[in-house]
Amino acid sequence: MAKKFKITICSGTTCYVLGGAHLMMLAESLPADLKDQVEIIDSNCIKACQFENAQPPFVQINDYLMSQASVAKVVEYLRKH
Amino acid sequence: MAMNYINNASLLKRQLVVRFARLMFTGELKNKIDLLPLHQAPRNSEAVRCCLHHDRAVIRYRLIALLGFAIENEKPDDEARTLASYVEEAEARGAGRMAGSALTVIDEACSACIRANYRVTNACRGCVARPCMMNCPKNCISFENGQAHIDEKVCISCGICAKVCPYHSIVFQPIPCEQACPVNAIVQDKNGKQDILADKCINCGKCLQACPFGAIMERSEIYEILRAITNPAEATVALIAPSIVGQFNTSLGKLVTALRKLGFDHVVEVAWGADLAAQKETAELIERLEHGQTCMTSSCCPAYVEAVKKHITNIKPLVSDTLSPMQYAGEWAGQQWPGARRVFVGPCIAKRAEAKASPHIENTLTYEELGSIFIAAGVDVAECEESRADLEATSVGRKFAVSGGVSTAIKNAASAAGHNVTDKVIDGLDSKSLAILKAIDKIVKSDTFVEVMSCEGGCVNGPGVISNPAVARRFLEKMLQEHP
Repeated sequence: MAKKFKITICSGTTCYVLGGAHLMMLAESLPADLKDQVEIIDSNCIKACQFENAQPPFVQINDYLMSQASVAKVVEYLRKH
Repeated sequence: MAMNYINNASLLKRQLVVRFARLMFTGELKNKIDLLPLHQAPRNSEAVRCCLHHDRAVIRYRLIALLGFAIENEKPDDEARTLASYVEEAEARGAGRMAGSALTVIDEACSACIRANYRVTNACRGCVARPCMMNCPKNCISFENGQAHIDEKVCISCGICAKVCPYHSIVFQPIPCEQACPVNAIVQDKNGKQDILADKCINCGKCLQACPFGAIMERSEIYEILRAITNPAEATVALIAPSIVGQFNTSLGKLVTALRKLGFDHVVEVAWGADLAAQKETAELIERLEHGQTCMTSSCCPAYVEAVKKHITNIKPLVSDTLSPMQYAGEWAGQQWPGARRVFVGPCIAKRAEAKASPHIENTLTYEELGSIFIAAGVDVAECEESRADLEATSVGRKFAVSGGVSTAIKNAASAAGHNVTDKVIDGLDSKSLAILKAIDKIVKSDTFVEVMSCEGGCVNGPGVISNPAVARRFLEKMLQEHP
């Protein structure tokens, strides 16, 4: 069965160095009730950083591109949707 | 592990290093460095401190530290100096080494944390019993507007008031850098700003990690390093520490290629030096134990070695004389490529001080700095091809990155040579573990090898890392499974 959320974490060097490294802890930081609704993909650069004034790190949650992503921000988003 | 949470101060620093390195790559540093504070804190953006001007002043000092200067050396008139003039001074410094401590305090960023460690909160009910006031040995608690008030100038932070308050309304508030320092080397001056005492400091970098204002900077060597790797005529070697595995969420082979793309001519695994150090240290241990010594401690952690020199001199005879893996690897690189600039790439600030005193290493670079340089150069590590380092290591040396790795290596090597030794790991330096170390030969059983790591968890938790230590450890374990 398809999961409700497909989360793609950008692990391009720019994202990883500018805060994305901490997103590697996302899987173990998810609350129990969200865990089985989420599929996490650790991806090469998703090229979101190439726009002017881009604010890495980036996470793609289904169709939504989150900038300056953090574990807390991702969890908050999942709670609201 | 408590340390290394995501931290805005360190992210802002990494962004600044990206801007700095970009200008180095385009050759515009001297012309444009004075614009960087404006670019990093642009007009109409939200200030982090009281106002943008203060933010920019702090950024200016960060750039001075990035150029390798100690902020403490600033003279009053230097406040009017351009950053370009500092670049000129760095240029003229040539390959000469920087004197003094590896850490520097930006007074302008230091918030002058309160002197007294105890604070009365709004939970104070102004009770009749007033045990805080009655029991204060310095008589420094008075009552204003129905609430207790501590006179910070008189308070000695004994904590009795907090213990006796029935409402738990008095809280302990640490000075983060002082609390983190294992050797009391950072103290407040008369203005409340912090000073690092060079004769006590062991360059462990714990204060830098602890300060919420990012007021403590390492005196970087990226200027020298970037200048060398962008100069085709200068040969450079990157000596990568074992803990680099897991720092970029990718394989070691891709990282080796990425370093070459930056302009490093050769890449050497310091873990090779760790393989060698393990052999030498085992032979040394066996010899010492045969001569009746109770125990011997490791010598690879430079903050620990410095702590012995400055604070627990009595155990100096117990510290191994074996050189650190960095120095063996550097020595090898020096023989292989005479005259090449050898750059140690690692998680450590204390290594910078060790390198300065060593003939085998010219410069040191942290993973954080390397990460920012990759971004500036447009090198995406995960998208590089795999390639092999000029000198590779075995899994024995690669395990030096995590605590327990050194002692396991020595114990196994000793056992293979027919000697049974016990191992003990001192995982992280603080005042408590330093007290244990002071009497270590009385505490441990005979025939013990003691591994000491200044950073809890080992080098993967060093002050210059990018990855969460748990993530880095996972990566290392995976790699060791694949390449046993």
